Amino acid sequence: MTPRETGPRSLYVHVPFCESKCPYCAFASAVKRPGDEGAYLGSLREEAASRSSIAGGRLLTLYIGGGTPTALSLGAWRELIAVIGGAFKLASDAEVTVEANPGSLSREHIELWRGFINRVSVGVQSFNDDDLKFLGRAHDSGQATEAVEMCVSAGFQTSVDLMFGLPGGPLRDGEPEYGGQTLRGWAGNLRRAARTGAGHISVYQLTIEPGTTFGGLNFPKSALTDGYLPYRYAQWCLPRRGYAQYEVASFSKPGQESRHNLNYWADGEYIGLGPSAWSYIGGVRSQNAQTLDEYARMIAQGKSASVYEERLPPAQAARQAAVLALRAERGIDWRSFEEKHGKAMKDEISEKLNRFPESLVRNDPRRASLTAAGLRVANRVWEEII
Amino acid sequence: MDRAVKIDKLKKIRNFSIIAHVDHGKSTLADRLIESTHTVDGRNMKSQLLDMLELERERGITIKLVPVRMNYEAANGEKYVLNLIDTPGHVDFNYEVSRSLAACEGAILVVDAAQGVEAQTVANAYLAVEQNLDLVPVFNKIDLPSASPERVAREIEEVIGLDASGAILASAKDGTGISEILERIVTDIRPPEGDPDKPLSALIFDSVYDNYRGVISYVRVVDGELAPGKTVSFMATGEVYDVEEVGVFTPAMSPVESLGPGEVGYIVAGIKSLADASVGDTITDARKPAASPLPGYRRVKPVVFCGYYPIEREEINALRDALEKLQINDSAITFEPESSAALGFGFRCGFLGLLHMEIAKERLYREFGVELVATAPNVVYQIKLTDGGVTEARRPSDFPADAAKVDEVLEPYIRMTAFLPDDYVGPVMQLSQEKRGVYVSMDYIAQGRVRLVYDLPLAEFIMDFHDRLKSATRGYASLDYDHIGYRASDLVKVDILIQEEPVDAFSFICHRDAAYSRGHTVAVKLKELIPRQLFEVPIQAAIGKKVIVRTNVKALRKDVLAKCYGGDITRKRKLLEKQKEGKKRMKQVGRVSIPQEAFMAFMDVSGDDGK
Repeated sequence: MTPRETGPRSLYVHVPFCESKCPYCAFASAVKRPGDEGAYLGSLREEAASRSSIAGGRLLTLYIGGGTPTALSLGAWRELIAVIGGAFKLASDAEVTVEANPGSLSREHIELWRGFINRVSVGVQSFNDDDLKFLGRAHDSGQATEAVEMCVSAGFQTSVDLMFGLPGGPLRDGEPEYGGQTLRGWAGNLRRAARTGAGHISVYQLTIEPGTTFGGLNFPKSALTDGYLPYRYAQWCLPRRGYAQYEVASFSKPGQESRHNLNYWADGEYIGLGPSAWSYIGGVRSQNAQTLDEYARMIAQGKSASVYEERLPPAQAARQAAVLALRAERGIDWRSFEEKHGKAMKDEISEKLNRFPESLVRNDPRRASLTAAGLRVANRVWEEII
Repeated sequence: MDRAVKIDKLKKIRNFSIIAHVDHGKSTLADRLIESTHTVDGRNMKSQLLDMLELERERGITIKLVPVRMNYEAANGEKYVLNLIDTPGHVDFNYEVSRSLAACEGAILVVDAAQGVEAQTVANAYLAVEQNLDLVPVFNKIDLPSASPERVAREIEEVIGLDASGAILASAKDGTGISEILERIVTDIRPPEGDPDKPLSALIFDSVYDNYRGVISYVRVVDGELAPGKTVSFMATGEVYDVEEVGVFTPAMSPVESLGPGEVGYIVAGIKSLADASVGDTITDARKPAASPLPGYRRVKPVVFCGYYPIEREEINALRDALEKLQINDSAITFEPESSAALGFGFRCGFLGLLHMEIAKERLYREFGVELVATAPNVVYQIKLTDGGVTEARRPSDFPADAAKVDEVLEPYIRMTAFLPDDYVGPVMQLSQEKRGVYVSMDYIAQGRVRLVYDLPLAEFIMDFHDRLKSATRGYASLDYDHIGYRASDLVKVDILIQEEPVDAFSFICHRDAAYSRGHTVAVKLKELIPRQLFEVPIQAAIGKKVIVRTNVKALRKDVLAKCYGGDITRKRKLLEKQKEGKKRMKQVGRVSIPQEAFMAFMDVSGDDGK
């Protein structure tokens, strides 16, 4: 999985549409307007055509994320697959993931995806109806279960996203106040996710981002937990059900790790297509224009859609790579790290890691990684390194 | 000028002050006097122009004195020179008040006709009586519906023992009584005495620093004559100067040929620092000196100390420069370098009182742009050692580390006089008791109004006494105090240990009985302010080796936000860098990071101790 020098072999495609905007979401997405799908696909086709040559060979991973990819109509989906397939060649064992929303995932999608997609990441968030209402999600717990089971039975590798640390607060108009997620409720979510047969579970904590609906609500500090208990519980319960923690937020059955994401943590290169998508090529991280209109305008002018680029100085790039690597259970492989970033940087980072107790950081001559307890306070370790 | 003319000139001079409790209308009255003698024309009349410093105008109190010379044609047709010498209105500056009064023969005692006699009315009136001044009582704010001149007259007679039957009913606001006041200054206040042919003696009652001209001293000539070209010596310092310029205040400085006996004016003599022209010093002729200096000179000694530290450590030199310049301007301030494990390098500064300290801090910021943190104020303790020696402690770390070497600790006391409605006597006695006060006396000064006297440790007084008195009496109490010397107390130094290491910025001196509760308050507050670390952090309060309070900052359990998409990498990095930057501002004590706010929390001048 180590990226070759010749160019990126991972591709991310961003679908910028949603059925509705969730109150906690700070991602680039918007509710679809008439004509948007056409404009999006037209621009994407051009961007794909102009950038496919930088790929370093057949793609090993492809990830179609959003937004909500399942918000695209079936016709648009056919075209999207044609656009990607027309511009890029995929390796025979490529991992091809799509994000799906229980509210909009249909049997037709599944049929259409067969032969192209082999992994689905379902944005369940919760199997509890109160949680889902609080989060402003369009689906209920029944639809969530159904969607995951549909993907599993269709033979896709399936991942379930679950959210914890939900504070109490008002539900929609006329509904009683939501009391906040309980540990019991969270445990139930993990159990139900495991019972669906999904091979991969992602857990993440609700963050209140500025500029979102939740960001404007001023939740009392007391309502927001540090997330220790639900996270600790996931670390305890999921491995017992066969899901090993292989990254801060990710648990999987053997062989079901997300290869696309592992490429990120390994500091691997990738191409990003579509509005707001990030690319990382030749040491440069760049981001496309955020809105569909801006993106389409730039592509129409025959320009690159990139609006932000950064190339870190070598020392900073090395530290960044170390932080990324420590997200994953495999951690930093010192030999390849030293080959890529030099001995001085290796020594600097290793020395900093040695300041932490062994209960948090394992560091031996071959590799360095965070323990389960270390993953829980990873920010403190990264802060030290960055 | 022959002698007769000079003597006649002397008889037409009146030197006076206005003394009053704060807010009783002193500055407004001064404005009216200046206006109605046409000293300053209306256009240039800045309201309350005596209060020159910007800061003073904002706070509505006078600190620096600015004299004004007014020309007045009395009802008898004679022309008089009236010199108004303003006095600072705060107890921190009592010494300056007494020196200004020493430059006068009389004073207008202003009392609010609605509020009546307050603590500083009495304190200032006593100072004036001690100086043997002629007093002209004025009841101001007579236009208020609640004005009650009969009651106020009774209070003056009973409390101060002054005949108030001839008090002038005035309103500085609407001009009532102003002409009567001017007339009474002429008739009721005696002219100065003095001999133009005697050797020069002139009292310095204030000095200011001018960037271009150096020190400008405000003087009252008693005998002899002060003129440019003369060589004079300052009797306290022995320094000799050539007089460059003398002049009077109109109120702008206007040069004159000479200042004779009884006259008030200024002198410029190439003096470099205010410390060389101390208030209370006597100027005399270097060739023909006066036999003895004028009475009353003493060096003012700071009574309250605190540490000043720059917020940005690199600004230590800027702070030193600013303090040096401020000291040229305000010689009562002292400073010496000190360092604190927590705050780095700074200065231990001495002040005449809390207000003085606050003003200095604000001036440093406004005039020199220096931002600083001030540690909690301390008084100066005297420590008698078992080996017979005596040492001074201006901060907790001056305390001998070995408690066995301490024989006795003495602390400065004040005698506080409070005037208050009798409804509040209970709460104020309770507060004074709590502050280790010793009851002295209580008497009724009028129906429903009480004078309460307590002796209090200055340390307790400067902590938060004033604020708490205000809230206990809803602002109806007035307060004055005198320093009454040192007394022995059972005082201990309480150390605060974080992760077993004492942190000097948090240590304090207090009475043994209060050590537990204050130690507890500090420990609990630190527990709130110190962020969780990757390990448990014990916080202890200890007297010597004996731990009296212990609490813990629990270990951090989780600090990670789970998801990170390919696109978040840059954002995440910036976030981490920002957090790291934030932590750089924290002080490392051993392995523990302590945020600036924790130090700030204990530097509040109000000295909130956890109410």
